[in-house]
Amino acid sequence: MEEKLYSLQDAVSRFINDGDVVAVGGVGRNRSPMALVREIVRQGKKDLHIVGREKGMDFDMLIGAGCVRKVSFALVSLEEFGLAMNFRRKAQAGEIELDEHACNSVITSLRAAAMGLPFLPLKGMFGSDVFRVNKSLTEIRCPFTGEELAAVKAIKPDVTIIHAHQADKHGNIRIQGSPFEDILKAWAAERTIVTVEEIIDNEEVRANTHLTTIPYIYVTAVVHQPKGAWPASCDHYYDSDMEEVKAYAQAIKTPEGFQEYLEQRVLNRRD
Amino acid sequence: MADYTVAELMAVCLAREIKDGDRVLQGLYSPLPMMACLLAKNFHAPNMVYFNTSDVIDPEPTEVPFSSAGPALQERAVAYIPLWQTFDLAQRGELDLIFLGAAQVDKYGNTNLSVIGPYEKPKVRLPGGAASAHLCAIMDTVIWVPRHNARVLVEKVDFITGQGYLTGGKAREEAGIPKGGPRKVVTNLCIMDFEPETKAMRLVSLHPGVTLEEVKENTGFELIIPDKMETTEPPSKEELEFMRQIDPKGVRELEFH
Repeated sequence: MEEKLYSLQDAVSRFINDGDVVAVGGVGRNRSPMALVREIVRQGKKDLHIVGREKGMDFDMLIGAGCVRKVSFALVSLEEFGLAMNFRRKAQAGEIELDEHACNSVITSLRAAAMGLPFLPLKGMFGSDVFRVNKSLTEIRCPFTGEELAAVKAIKPDVTIIHAHQADKHGNIRIQGSPFEDILKAWAAERTIVTVEEIIDNEEVRANTHLTTIPYIYVTAVVHQPKGAWPASCDHYYDSDMEEVKAYAQAIKTPEGFQEYLEQRVLNRRD
Repeated sequence: MADYTVAELMAVCLAREIKDGDRVLQGLYSPLPMMACLLAKNFHAPNMVYFNTSDVIDPEPTEVPFSSAGPALQERAVAYIPLWQTFDLAQRGELDLIFLGAAQVDKYGNTNLSVIGPYEKPKVRLPGGAASAHLCAIMDTVIWVPRHNARVLVEKVDFITGQGYLTGGKAREEAGIPKGGPRKVVTNLCIMDFEPETKAMRLVSLHPGVTLEEVKENTGFELIIPDKMETTEPPSKEELEFMRQIDPKGVRELEFH
């Protein structure tokens, strides 16, 4: 098996290109791949199309830093810390293209890609204006039952970015808590970059086969990045850093505040 | 002076919508639904199945977290279940209830979490409706509104993110989504349901100390007023003790600051 250990900088510079479709792991502020997000910002990647279900600081930071052209999402919010203001400002100014979904239509678009299909059918959606405005959703009739269903176009990520708990150097990944859609995202993508809290031995992987959640065949690069989800949580390792999320929520109230945050906490810092 | 907060009263009202044996999903940023599920399971609905956005079934947290998808919401759960599998259950008709928040709710129970103003050039871009456009079309929902006022309870939403009864009457059936729909709306002032024929919102009960005038003034459309007005039953001493025990930091008050 090939070794796939990279530094954070190398993984981002080699495997994420301007214009890529990027599926981002985690939900809310839980197991978000924040070290990867910050490195994408530092390297000034452009025109990304970011994909996720219920996202927070990760999406907001990428959008605010000017890395994003298009967003496929069901919700972007900082939960109790308030609004994702960069998302709001850029959306209101028409500076980002919005591909608004329901949670399950984003997930279904990734499932379709994972299955190698151009689309999948989905129940529900009718009657919602989300269905009316979204060009990747349309109506289809079941050829067997005649039932009217929504058809959801596949979204194939060029690259998926995930933060997980453990991996060996070949990219056998262990997610030891809520999986969210991270496994699907890895299945669906052309390339997958995973930061992990710990690197473990391949022998340990082989002795505990049942603990591998994403096998190496789906993984392009592994980065040893303890606290790689910070300030998001990583189940069993650390909870979200409320003070930092609060500081972020405060900073993004104005574009200047956000710029200052970026300079202090992202651009002039290394993970 | 009541010895409970309006958040505690609302949590109990939401809990009462859960019947024993129901399968209930709690979404992201849902402090009151989280409390409601835990209340129901510990009191009147021990056999309800509690699904949440931390991707687990039936957790028993010793203390509830601020993030409704936080790791503390996995404590003592029986299994992980990715949300997409829970959605599969919903699609098969095997999920009974989800609680839904909204920036706007109209008189037919349609909800908006997308935009204020025109979609392409919004005055305000909202966070998005999370699961709603899918789940509201296939299952029962209960809507919670921490701030009952005429900007939230509107005649017609600017954008239907989550399907209520659309334009009322048989509109849901005509749109091809015959199943489910909003069952109740629980606010900081009252509880409402939907009149069976017109599917227009109807007052059910006023919270203790709230007047009918107050509700009318704070509602942006004409609410159906029943002949007989109930008063919402306050939380019991045991329910209050339970909430305060699992939530010492006041997560349930998050939306009321």
